[in-house]
Amino acid sequence: MTPIIVAEGLERRFGDLVAVDGVDLSIDAGEVFGFLGPNGAGKSTTVRMLTTLLKPTAGHARVAGYDVVRQAGEVRRAIGVALQDAAIDPLMTGSELVHLQAVLHGIPAKVADQRGKELLERVGLTAAADRRVGTYSGGMRRRLDLALSLVHEPEVLFLDEPTTGLDPMSRMALWEEVRFLNRERGTTVLLTTQYLEEADQLAGRIAIIDHGRIVKKGEPRALKAEVGSPTLMVEVDGDPLAAAEVLATFGDERPSEHRALAIGLTGGAQQLTAVVRALDEAGVVVRHMELNAPTLDDVFAEATGRRLEGAADGSEQGAVEAAPA
Amino acid sequence: MTVALAPHRPNVARQSLVLSRRAVLSIVRQPQVVLPSLFFPLFFAALNAAAFDRITAAQPDFAAQYPSFLDFLLPATVLQGVLFGSTQAGTEMANDIEMGFFDRLLASPVSRTSILVGRLAGGAALGAAQAVFFAVVLVLFGAQVTGIGPVLVLVVCSSLLAVGIGGFGVVLGIRTGSAEAVQGAFPLIFVLMFTSSAFFPRELMTGWYGTVATYNPISWILEALRELLTLGWSTTEAVVAVATSAGIAALAIVVALRALRRRLVLAA
Repeated sequence: MTPIIVAEGLERRFGDLVAVDGVDLSIDAGEVFGFLGPNGAGKSTTVRMLTTLLKPTAGHARVAGYDVVRQAGEVRRAIGVALQDAAIDPLMTGSELVHLQAVLHGIPAKVADQRGKELLERVGLTAAADRRVGTYSGGMRRRLDLALSLVHEPEVLFLDEPTTGLDPMSRMALWEEVRFLNRERGTTVLLTTQYLEEADQLAGRIAIIDHGRIVKKGEPRALKAEVGSPTLMVEVDGDPLAAAEVLATFGDERPSEHRALAIGLTGGAQQLTAVVRALDEAGVVVRHMELNAPTLDDVFAEATGRRLEGAADGSEQGAVEAAPA
Repeated sequence: MTVALAPHRPNVARQSLVLSRRAVLSIVRQPQVVLPSLFFPLFFAALNAAAFDRITAAQPDFAAQYPSFLDFLLPATVLQGVLFGSTQAGTEMANDIEMGFFDRLLASPVSRTSILVGRLAGGAALGAAQAVFFAVVLVLFGAQVTGIGPVLVLVVCSSLLAVGIGGFGVVLGIRTGSAEAVQGAFPLIFVLMFTSSAFFPRELMTGWYGTVATYNPISWILEALRELLTLGWSTTEAVVAVATSAGIAALAIVVALRALRRRLVLAA
């Protein structure tokens, strides 16, 4: 199968800042591909280059067989794009915006209205279709944004942080829609996210991006298996040094949040009783202990030395990656 | 199983039309934005008419052509309203960029011309509507017009100027991407108006003021419109008014298209 999105050495600099630093990608038609990384990692900048909104400063990329710089017009016809900040004109109604988007893509008026109705129904906005978007909730805007990006039945769909800031219900509804599109229509989806669960749930393959570079790429399950051992997290009362010494004999240290200690438990769950016994003999008072099967967060931690969970709670929402003037 | 959609070709005319419709809708749906551009010119007209009406009596030549000072003020009032209102196009463009709607447009196969046409058509429609509005109000208050032909020229010039000033506003919007920056340039409109013969006959100006007003194209348009509206139809004056307005509009479009392309090259 020929890849539908290819990037080779894709790079974007803003002055001295290297936002995207040589990204290579090869995504097959029909894949759901997840771009996982913290705020400012270069996810959005990469998507902006792939969607022809930003010119790479080095490298090149092809989407749906067309070069994103030299054949930008062809690329734009083939792709659907829902960008991070759900840029929707608050003064217009849902159905007016769908109509506008359809006309921009050259869809005949009759077909456009029919498709508009279907799409709005699919995303559950029929009742709100004639209301101004300014009155929509955050979840409704995202759903409208998705409907808009689908008007011309694109081969490739780009979703930039489609669920950031959404409540859990709206998030699940959006996931369901993405799965449906991929399954029923074979739409290739590239989505960026800072949520581990989202990448895990939706994407067949993911790339972890940090400081503008892809640090890991593969199927979530394979990546987790690569980490191998489960993570043992221990919180103690008093001096953590003694505990750290004991734990070091059972596996390598892993990055952890707060004051907890974490190791990759080399021998797996069978070693747990031995760990407890050793800690007890060393006089360590354990306050909390948990053993977790490898997650994408462990994959991220192994690749970057930092944890994504917690840091990406959406608390830094709105932090925008360097934008061109 | 992809449902095949008949291959479609983006059409510049349809794109321009649908984007123009959006621009007009955004004016209709936020009337508070255009109300000042309707109110203030009337305020100035009332103020000036009250202040200068009796001076005209001291100038027999002037009084012969303009029985009421409102007759003199009518074109200036219209153009003032149009100039005030047409900065809106630039503000909206900057808003689109700030909000991200501009990106949505650029990621679709929209022609770059359609983006500009759509933006300026809203202003042109507003300009024409304003011209009719001011003419009707001032006539109700006693201004006189010589006929429908001159009024039509007034409406056409208003539309063209709205495109012209709107176009320069769009350039600012594109260059800065900030609605506030566009609004910050608003006083330039005042300078343009007050250094023309909008509120004061050029024959009575002296020194540098007279010189500046003589070279200000707004003066050319205003004076031609005055002749038309008070003395009756003159093809020469109509051509001067329309050609000057059209020249400004054409220049603005050229500059705006260049700004748009430049932004696309830099960003896209």
